[in-house]
Amino acid sequence: MSNFPLAIIYIIGAVLLPVLPRQIRSAFFLIVSALAFFILINLETGASLTFPFLNYELMACRVDRLSLAFGYVFVIMGFLGGVYGYHVKESLQQVAAMLYVGSSLGVVFAGDLFTLIFFWEIMAISSLFLIWARRTQEARKAGFRYLLVHAFGGSALMAGILLHLQQTGSLLFTHFDGGVASYLILLSFALNAAVPPLNGWLPDAYPEGTVTGSVFLSAFTTKVAVYALARGFAGLELLMWLGAFMAVYGVVFAFLANDGRRLLSYHIISQVGYMVCGVGIGTAVAVNGATAHAFAHILYKGLLFMGMGTVLYATGRNRMTELGGLFKKMWPTLIFFMVGAFSISGVPLFSGFVSKSMVIYGAEMEHLGAIVLLLSLASIGTFLSIGLKLPYFTWFSTDRGVKTQPVPPGMYIGMGLTAALCIAIGVYPALLYNLLPFEVHYQPYTASHLIESMQLLIFTGLAFWLVMKKLHAEATITLDTDWFYRRPSRLAFNVFSVSICELFGAIERLSLHLVRYLVRVGGNPAGYAVEVTRNAGHILLRTEKPAREPLDFSPDRYRIPLGFMVLVVLLVLVVLLAWDFLF
Amino acid sequence: MATLIIFIILDVLVVMGHAHFVFPWSHIPGFFSLFGFLGCLVIIGGAKLLGHFWLQRGEDYYDKDNEHE
Repeated sequence: MSNFPLAIIYIIGAVLLPVLPRQIRSAFFLIVSALAFFILINLETGASLTFPFLNYELMACRVDRLSLAFGYVFVIMGFLGGVYGYHVKESLQQVAAMLYVGSSLGVVFAGDLFTLIFFWEIMAISSLFLIWARRTQEARKAGFRYLLVHAFGGSALMAGILLHLQQTGSLLFTHFDGGVASYLILLSFALNAAVPPLNGWLPDAYPEGTVTGSVFLSAFTTKVAVYALARGFAGLELLMWLGAFMAVYGVVFAFLANDGRRLLSYHIISQVGYMVCGVGIGTAVAVNGATAHAFAHILYKGLLFMGMGTVLYATGRNRMTELGGLFKKMWPTLIFFMVGAFSISGVPLFSGFVSKSMVIYGAEMEHLGAIVLLLSLASIGTFLSIGLKLPYFTWFSTDRGVKTQPVPPGMYIGMGLTAALCIAIGVYPALLYNLLPFEVHYQPYTASHLIESMQLLIFTGLAFWLVMKKLHAEATITLDTDWFYRRPSRLAFNVFSVSICELFGAIERLSLHLVRYLVRVGGNPAGYAVEVTRNAGHILLRTEKPAREPLDFSPDRYRIPLGFMVLVVLLVLVVLLAWDFLF
Repeated sequence: MATLIIFIILDVLVVMGHAHFVFPWSHIPGFFSLFGFLGCLVIIGGAKLLGHFWLQRGEDYYDKDNEHE
């Protein structure tokens, strides 16, 4: 079978879905995902679908081990999200999710930069509707901010691609070699990967998405960006440092978050930091590590978002200050959530243990001590916030007697399947390692690695236990880099909207004054002249101006009588006739 | 305490002789226990300091800007 761009399957599916009966739409979503998986396993490595467009050769489907690894996890996550969202009967969300999955796959298999930006933009727009589908005031506003940020990123990408095309004459999506064009492209990739200071949009928008929408959101945009960075900028030292910084940055901000899904969003930033760091190191081991971590991360982060989404669905609340004591009512969700939490924390036998350590191993091989310590510090913070704090304040702590509504079975099945995959990868890492772009010579289950990890985790837990009584979630929000476009928005609103309105208002008032003046002058020039002269006389002679016109005032008082005008016209006529008669 | 002692013994017995890569901390027994413990406290303390003195605001912080709506 020849290669077929997977994105097309999803796009056709998204077109067909709204015309199908409501009852079978959710099943159709799963069928499309299964079909895509079938096509994916039959893709031929290296083969590509090329066709001419204008004067350029486009490559809509390029398959190699790097794109396949990301392709697999995207299709799997799309399917799992579909199972979790089986109860959703709203076609807007389903169509948006389908286009979002499809366009992410479109980017991953894009061989040229035009195909890349085409799907890149569909990805931004379709994900936006997963936020707006929540239909709250906050979601609407956060969605607009999300749109503006991604429109900026898309423009930077377009500008970069056009410059790159002009400089090199090639549209092929390969490693970039520096220069203004590649920095613009790097900027837009880094924006989608939420690299600080371009991270503000992520924790702003993701917690506002719908229960199922945020499961999809957590998986795709940032990891597509990781793929794009691995393809275009592997080995860029700047990324290595940014990634390590980002891992710690996300952890610190996550600790301050009160909204459960915002806390998880900050941990996306932190976890993507490991991947960006791995890409920046750029060796085969490190890029393998980044890919493996992206694969494992998509699954466990999806699972964590499913868990907090289930809490939101059942209680209508997501803030730690409003939750607590859910253990009796929602213990199955806690079990699934903890599988995700142990995975992200890198507990042995869970998926994060076999992927995160590969990135750190990559740093160790290059003798980058500072990077190793920064990434280990981020691990500590991850276990602290997701493994301990968030479940403690949601399921235990003070029982606030929150009322819950029953949860559809699809959500449990979705979480169960995802949790099973997280454990399978942790127990049998070869499942994951066989998919990686380079051959793997790494063994995560060594005595020294196990002992080091257990020390880190147990003593993090001990420190948490010691200060636990003093910790309490705080009902605040945390300023982040979105401040730079949210706070000055009032100023911008004043400059671009209020001040322009005022300018128009002033011009309007001025023209009305002018019209009134002209009406007065034109309507009765003689009367106006008399009035002006009289006023001038008063001013010059410093006499009192009459306070008011007399009560019997008539506008015709100084008006030239009609007969006078008739006389003037007759006189002119006489002069003209005389002129004609004499000459 | 007992856990710490067990891990230090394990560290000395298993890890020390077999470490593939040598870093300055590779010779300190129980380094990752200490790092985990202190790191956790540093993150909690650092985040709280940053939050209280600078970054944490009331939940209506941004809404104040939108009064014209």
